[in-house]
Amino acid sequence: MAARSRGTELDLSWISKIQVNQPAVLRRAEQIQARRTVKKEWQAAWLLKAVTCIDLTTLSGDDTFSNIQRLCYKAKYPIREDLLKALNMYDEGITTAAVCVYPARVCDAVKALKAAGCDIPVASVATGFPAAQTHLKTRLEEIRLAVEDGATEIDVVINRSLVLTGQWEALYDEIRQFRQACGEAHLKTILATGELGSLTNVYKASMIAMMAGSDFIKTSTGKETVNATFPVAIVMLRAIRDFFWKTGNKVGFKPAGGIRTAKDSLAWLSLIKEELGDEWLKPELFRIGASALLSDIERQIYHHVTGRYAAYHDLPMS
Amino acid sequence: MAATHAEPSAREIFSTLEYGPAPESHACALAWLDTQDRLLGHYVNGKWLKPEHRNCVPCQDPITGENLASCLLAEPEDVAAAVKAALDALGSWSGVPGGSRAQHLTRLAKMIQKHQRLLWTLDSLVTGRAVREVRDGDVPLAQQLLQHHAVQVHDQEEALAGWEPMGVVGLILPPTFSFLEMMWRICPALAVGCTVVAVVPPASPTPLLLAQLAGELGAFCGILNVLIGPASLGDTVGRCPGVHKVAFCGAVEEARVLRQSLAGQRLELSLALGMESLLLLMDSADVDSAVEGVVDAAWSDRSPGGLRLLVQESVWEETMRRLQRRMGKLRSGRGLDGAVDMGTRGAAACAAARRYVQEAQSQGAQVFQADPVPSASPFYPPTLVSGLPPASPCAQAEVPWPLVVASPFRTAKEALAVANSTPRGGSSSVWSERLGQALELGYGLRVGTVWVNTHGLRDPAVPVGGCKESGSSWHGGLDVSAPVTAPASPCHLLPPASPLPAGLGDRGPAALLPPYGLFVGGRFQPPGAGSSRPVWDSSGSLHGYVAEGGAKDIRGAVEAAHQAATGWERQSAGARAALLVALAAALERRGPGLASRLQRHGVELEAAKAEVELSARRLRLWGARAQAQGHTLQVAGLRGPVLRLREPLGVLAIVCPDEWPLLAFVSLLAPALAHGNAVVLVPSRTCPLPALEVCQDVASLFPAGLVNVVTGDCDHLTRCLALHQDVQALWYFGSTKGSQFVEWASAGNLKPVWVNRGHLRAWDQEPQGAGPELGLRAARTKALWLPMGD
Repeated sequence: MAARSRGTELDLSWISKIQVNQPAVLRRAEQIQARRTVKKEWQAAWLLKAVTCIDLTTLSGDDTFSNIQRLCYKAKYPIREDLLKALNMYDEGITTAAVCVYPARVCDAVKALKAAGCDIPVASVATGFPAAQTHLKTRLEEIRLAVEDGATEIDVVINRSLVLTGQWEALYDEIRQFRQACGEAHLKTILATGELGSLTNVYKASMIAMMAGSDFIKTSTGKETVNATFPVAIVMLRAIRDFFWKTGNKVGFKPAGGIRTAKDSLAWLSLIKEELGDEWLKPELFRIGASALLSDIERQIYHHVTGRYAAYHDLPMS
Repeated sequence: MAATHAEPSAREIFSTLEYGPAPESHACALAWLDTQDRLLGHYVNGKWLKPEHRNCVPCQDPITGENLASCLLAEPEDVAAAVKAALDALGSWSGVPGGSRAQHLTRLAKMIQKHQRLLWTLDSLVTGRAVREVRDGDVPLAQQLLQHHAVQVHDQEEALAGWEPMGVVGLILPPTFSFLEMMWRICPALAVGCTVVAVVPPASPTPLLLAQLAGELGAFCGILNVLIGPASLGDTVGRCPGVHKVAFCGAVEEARVLRQSLAGQRLELSLALGMESLLLLMDSADVDSAVEGVVDAAWSDRSPGGLRLLVQESVWEETMRRLQRRMGKLRSGRGLDGAVDMGTRGAAACAAARRYVQEAQSQGAQVFQADPVPSASPFYPPTLVSGLPPASPCAQAEVPWPLVVASPFRTAKEALAVANSTPRGGSSSVWSERLGQALELGYGLRVGTVWVNTHGLRDPAVPVGGCKESGSSWHGGLDVSAPVTAPASPCHLLPPASPLPAGLGDRGPAALLPPYGLFVGGRFQPPGAGSSRPVWDSSGSLHGYVAEGGAKDIRGAVEAAHQAATGWERQSAGARAALLVALAAALERRGPGLASRLQRHGVELEAAKAEVELSARRLRLWGARAQAQGHTLQVAGLRGPVLRLREPLGVLAIVCPDEWPLLAFVSLLAPALAHGNAVVLVPSRTCPLPALEVCQDVASLFPAGLVNVVTGDCDHLTRCLALHQDVQALWYFGSTKGSQFVEWASAGNLKPVWVNRGHLRAWDQEPQGAGPELGLRAARTKALWLPMGD
């Protein structure tokens, strides 16, 4: 992970004049998917890059040690070895960027990864995930406990009511406290954009989260009805760019929820490349929160290498 | 730039994350060219026509320069053959019921769907445009157009009962237009029963392919004939007997020449000129989205021309920074690559861009290009020109592809003034999050299309037009068939002329003392020349004197009209209607006097009374119609309305016919005023007094300068009006020669003209005296797109 984002003092003038035109952003979102495509070798290389940006996630009520262990193993070996060899990428150390679990499963994940002998970071969701409708005190405590258990990345959800009622100072203060509670762990702030009401609010919440010192801003929990969509992403990426132009700080971006196909992941990579530039195309600044995506990517790479479409049993499950 | 070297390995790409080539196969396009033995002739009457001894021009791949095929250039005899085929087809095509035509258009739409891949690869291959734009934009729209008009045929059968198709429509397309421009124009023409002869430039075989697809439908072979040839063939097409309308799209100067050479040819010439677009960026806008609007407008292969960008000073720096960053992300490359933003337009377009940039630099402009200009390549990079002094020649000239010329402004009012100060009036977008401001600008811009917070949308249901030098033709939309139809069977009735009833001369002259002077600026003024001309009655005795107006009086009248025009335009339709109704009442009060004046000019008493009565009715009729202008359109695929506005032309000059001295005058005046125009009229030369008498009421009712009536030598006054650059439109009802002159002279500012070519109109009949034709000609259409969402 890169150096921690420092954040800035709260400056409400950065969000007071902002205008986001929703139909225009929707149109841009449609265009960007139609205007870029990668094929053949390029597609394979881009897909591998997408793999290295995945936060391999399981956030289910029925998670136990055994499926967490399976997940961690898949994170370490995301693509079948022979396929990587065929692409001459075996020695690149391709793993997913992190595994992401509930706080109660952090210990399991740390243990499993240690057993697998790798140093992939463990990310934990926190702060009353997914609704954030718990007391601030317990939310902060949740972060501290997850960090104690060995999580080095914390995905916090923001309090949507503060956004919807325009209490930007309060939102800033809360995220500041989250950041303090994280200590050395990296802070990813989930905006839950599906519940913010408008794209203008998405921009404002993004900017506040970055000012408060988030290392990443993340679209959604995966539990809302609307998850990572291109229009929302465009607005967040523009906010990241504006923040970079104002402060020189690069804040990362993590779309999560609903990204299931290899084709989607390519579109996300080109979106980042177009809106922010190549320097954001690395796990330090770009993550994809996903679970099913990895197997689709692996199938596509299988097809690229062998020229055949894979059966489900050809590839190890996660 | 997409240059392919030795293919890098996945390992290398993994670290660079570059884009790679994403070529679309164009094998099917080449296969189609092979079916023609790589020699493209003309498609006439459902057959390929490949005459011998014609000049050949190569059709090249604009990127590699490879010769794809040769094209035979049409000669006048080929044009004649095509027009003959179109004329032969006209009878059967316009004769069948509308339903059959609709079915045929639907079949053509399906044919396009079946061959869409061939269409888009062929078009992208030869034009160099990004395949994405052709595949996802043009081809679906071409189908939508056909389907839209097929549906319209059913709707319109009743509405167009009194109209008939104009006949053969000639269509001239210059090199920079896509085949879609042809579809926009042929669909409405075919739908109402016209047949088409299109002249397309050598490098664009797509229209030929479309014609072939239409021909393969079997029935109605000659309805669409396509020839390859230079735009100069427009003159030949226009002179062919049977061609009643020529639609020309292209360069302004070529249009002037064509307008002059086709003057007096008894055909309608519709012009769609220029390619430049305009974008107004206000400080309340979503600047990032507006920057995407600039990309859509200039650097996405969607629009054919360049862009004039006006940015509010307070967001200038921010806009330039974002724009320049965005430019660095644009990719130029082979059109048939799936991952490029911009293709190329060939050497001529690059040379034009290069020339403009050099001139702009020498005139003090700053030029920004994210990539250096490659010296020997067909690509020209996206270019941003700023700091151009407003008075420099480049700032006035049309901006070529792929350039954006940016300049700052301070206030919305100034933006409007700057935007309206060019001679062009095609399309424009306004970027502002303030609804009131956006609407104010949208209504105020003198252009044919305004998009609010978007750029470049088109839909078959929305009319597309222009004003000023962008040409006054419009097409598309619900009332689309009007430009390709004409009122059925023009009447050639003479006004009733009967011997003077006895005893009329006994009337006391004092009671009938006519007003004297030119009615200019709301009052009667003595003419500049200080002389008068006599008016004779039908018995040959002196009826009175009217002022002899001249060039200076016309100048004064046009100035007065311009001063009144703005206020009148802003009046609500209701207020305009109320004044027209009041004028009708005043006219009725004046009835006996007017009737006796008409009587002295040989109209029988009953007929004279009827003329006065009908005149009053016309004023009321147009008053009512004034309130039913414009409406909202609903467009597929767009959330939000599109407003179809009917806007005044500005200052409208009207030369009234000699016959029906009162009725014709009122019938022309009423629609002009109802639609918000200010007018300068030349009344009947034989009997100008009734018009002047009506002016006495106009003086007390209407704002000063709104209506100006200048008497004098009709030909001389017509000449002054036709050559006046600041008269926005001219209606002429007089001699054949006069009509020809008016058409010829209108090339100066390309004002729309309506002439009668010496035909008499039945002013007392509803279709000709008060039909929808007058309303259509009295205003222009503007489409205002208002996408919604939050």
